[in-house]
Amino acid sequence: MPSSLRPSSALNPGAIRTLLDEVWQSGLPLLSERLAVLDAATAAAHSGNCTGDLRAQAIAEAHKLSGSLGMFGYPEGTNLAREIEALLDAPGLPPAARLTELTAALRETLSLTKVL
Amino acid sequence: MRRILIIDDDDDIREVAALSLESIAGWHVTTANSGAAGIRAAVVQQPDAILLDVMMPGMDGPTTFKEIQNTPSIAHIPVLLLTAKVQGVDQRRFASLGVAGVLLKPFDPLTLATQMATMLGWSV
Repeated sequence: MPSSLRPSSALNPGAIRTLLDEVWQSGLPLLSERLAVLDAATAAAHSGNCTGDLRAQAIAEAHKLSGSLGMFGYPEGTNLAREIEALLDAPGLPPAARLTELTAALRETLSLTKVL
Repeated sequence: MRRILIIDDDDDIREVAALSLESIAGWHVTTANSGAAGIRAAVVQQPDAILLDVMMPGMDGPTTFKEIQNTPSIAHIPVLLLTAKVQGVDQRRFASLGVAGVLLKPFDPLTLATQMATMLGWSV
C-alpha cells in the first residue's frame, strides 16, 4: 500500500480482514437466501420450467454472488457463481444436472453445506 | 480528504468498499443503493469521484452515468464503473461510455483504493 494513501489512523491488513469477516458473518442470512434461489431454479430446471421471474431472479443472485464472494476470500465461489449465471442466462432450458453440480460445489466451497 | 460516493444495490459491496476506502485510504465515503438515489446524493454532496455499479435494477449503471453527464452540476465528477462482467467486450463497451475507468468485481478490499487512485490520476 503506497504510504501516501495510508492515513495515520489506517487499519492494518489484519484488522481490516477482521472487519471483513464481521461483514461476511452478518451477511450469512442473505447468502442463505441467495443460495435458496439458486436451489429453486435448479429444481425448476429439473422439471423443465426454469423460466420467467424465478430464472431472472436466479440470474441476478448468481451475478451478485460472482461479484462478491471473491472479495471475502472465496475466488472459487466467484467462478462457480459466474458459471451458474452464464448457464441460466443462455438461451433455452438450462442443463439441470450441471446446475445441480455447480450449486452443490458452491455450497461446499463456502463450507456452508450444514449451516445452510 | 477525498470524498467518494458509492452507488450499488448490493449491501455487501457498499459495505466492503466503504470499509476499504475509509480504513485504508482515509477517504470519506457515502453510499446510495440506486441510480436515482445516487444522482440526488451527488448533486447535494458534490463528491470528488463516484464508484458506480453497472448492473442494478431500475436505472442501471450506464443509464445512471448518462444522467450524471446530463446534470450540469455533477457532470464534471469522474465516474468509475464497477462490474462483474469479465468479458473483454463488455469492459470495452463500458469504457467507451466515457467513464474514468472500469473496475472488476470481485475487487480486493486491500487494493481498491490504489486501483481507484491510479485510474483517477490521484497521487498514490
